[in-house]
Amino acid sequence: MKIFHVFNSSSPFTRTRVITITIATIIALGINFVGITSGITTVLSHALYIPIILAGYWFPRRGLLFSTIIAVFYGTLIAYTLPLDPLLIVSTLSRMAFFVLIGGVVAFLSTKLRESEQQLHEIIEFLPYPTFAVNRNGEVIAWNQAVEELTGVKKAEILNKGDYAYSLAFYDIKRPALLDLILTPNPETQALYPLIKKEGKKLVSEVFIPRFKGGKGVHLRVAATALVDSSGNITGAIESIRDITEQVMTASALQNTSSRLNTIAGIVRHDISRKLAGLYGILSIGVMKFDDPEVLFFIEALKDSAQGIQRQIDISREFKDIGTSPPTWIPVQNAVLDAIKRLGVGGVTLRIWTERLEIFADPHMPAVFFYIFDATIKETEGVTTVVVTYHIQKNGCAILIETDGAGIEKSIKESLFTQREERYGHGLFLAHEICSISGITIKETGTPKKGTRFEILIPSEGYRIL
Amino acid sequence: MNEQDTLRTHQNTGASDSGDPAQTDDIQIMGKIVVRELRTDEFSAADRCWVDYHETTGDPATDRIFAVFSGDMIVSLARCRRHPDGMDVDGIFTPAEHRRKGYSRLAVSALVEACHNDDLYMHAVRHLVGFYAEQGFFPIEEKVLPPTIRERYVWAGGNLEGAEVQPMLRKAGLFSD
Repeated sequence: MKIFHVFNSSSPFTRTRVITITIATIIALGINFVGITSGITTVLSHALYIPIILAGYWFPRRGLLFSTIIAVFYGTLIAYTLPLDPLLIVSTLSRMAFFVLIGGVVAFLSTKLRESEQQLHEIIEFLPYPTFAVNRNGEVIAWNQAVEELTGVKKAEILNKGDYAYSLAFYDIKRPALLDLILTPNPETQALYPLIKKEGKKLVSEVFIPRFKGGKGVHLRVAATALVDSSGNITGAIESIRDITEQVMTASALQNTSSRLNTIAGIVRHDISRKLAGLYGILSIGVMKFDDPEVLFFIEALKDSAQGIQRQIDISREFKDIGTSPPTWIPVQNAVLDAIKRLGVGGVTLRIWTERLEIFADPHMPAVFFYIFDATIKETEGVTTVVVTYHIQKNGCAILIETDGAGIEKSIKESLFTQREERYGHGLFLAHEICSISGITIKETGTPKKGTRFEILIPSEGYRIL
Repeated sequence: MNEQDTLRTHQNTGASDSGDPAQTDDIQIMGKIVVRELRTDEFSAADRCWVDYHETTGDPATDRIFAVFSGDMIVSLARCRRHPDGMDVDGIFTPAEHRRKGYSRLAVSALVEACHNDDLYMHAVRHLVGFYAEQGFFPIEEKVLPPTIRERYVWAGGNLEGAEVQPMLRKAGLFSD
């Protein structure tokens, strides 16, 4: 009979289920037989729901047939064992109907669940990015076509395998992968991935795998997130991978070009500085040689222009390395302390409350704090206290640098971060440029005569609280 | 990290903890005292200290904990917990042997300064309302508390006065307040 084909299944999973249903059926029928022969026709019949529900859930296509067979068995048992009276016949037929009904309902719901799971599997299967998933025990539950192509490992070879079998496919060694950090956060696993970023509920990192593409190697961007059930419990994790080799190569080429341009700019800067030094010398001699006020005025104007060129050279020198190194996670407390150490704050009291905050920014970020402290402590009158805090907002995290003292006049605020020659120099302009590389914004929102307040807004994906 | 001499400008006298009212203004802080926020890996040290304070435990995902250290030892704690609808200040505790030295005031001042960008709510023990008022808190009606913070004392059935508890609020702000 077709129904027993399942008994011949080669899948150990299926065999275990069939054996479980068989045992449950034998026990339930046995209990009912003993009960009926002892005159008990109620309560014990409920035991038959166990194999009916199991069969309907595990084998939904045969659930209805199975529950019908159980119902027939039950009815036959009653008919052959007990003297039939109208009440017993009605109650037995009712129970039989319920067996069939329950079996049918469970089979229907299970079929719908299977269809939903199947749809999800198909979505994963045809995702353009290599994607795989594991359950809470670390066993592979999904392995799509794209990951088959990337690793050369077929789904049939790896499905239901645990013990970091998926890592073997990528790294040629059994070790935790990024999605294991979702299941079991662990510093050792974290150390295997550089620059792990948290983007919403995802963990994102980049890795280089030398053995792929015939030994040429590939740069991969890996993103992992949790699989959760309706109660919010983590039931597994899913990892999606994207080949970013071309992007990395482009970035590397740009960095090389930038480095060469820097070298050329450095040579040009040096030559201009030398010529400028010569010009200063000639102008100084001119001041001594001529006493005609008109000529002296003319020389002074030339000197001003020369100083303007010198300032441009200074800015260019300070700007030369900005943006040449990739952004990195920066502990804010250390960056602020570095800036303070470099600047020296005299009698000003500083209190920094950013112990747990890290931001993803250009490595020159400490210079931003330096220029802000320079503008507030050195350039603003009456500052005795500086407080550095952070504030989590809907659109990110703001680092706030607040001082007492005179504050900054409203007329100056508007051009504070532009390139200017007078007070505040070009430091805040550079601070603004450094921030903008990583999508960070900076503004001054203090109240004149009450103090300064610099707000550095970090985008949501660019900060973490450790 | 803010050491005692750094803090001198605004908080050099002793304060009380929850069981020791502010009657210690004449007591000077002695020894090397450091006030700072705890890192996540230090939360367990706070949990140990809080064993005698309703067995309170910290959660790095929602809490900022500020500790006063005397050497390596935590001598006072204060916590600011982020709720979906507001910030709740609690866990202000100084072990009995370290009281009457002003540590509590240091911990609360640190918390208030570090978290001053948000409105801060708290349920103060009534005889400490004056102490918290020094930090900018003022009494409010229970209904003003955000719902998730109000839930903490739902057992009092709206009779916080009977429970000897006063809801308080500190509006966001630093120097100007």
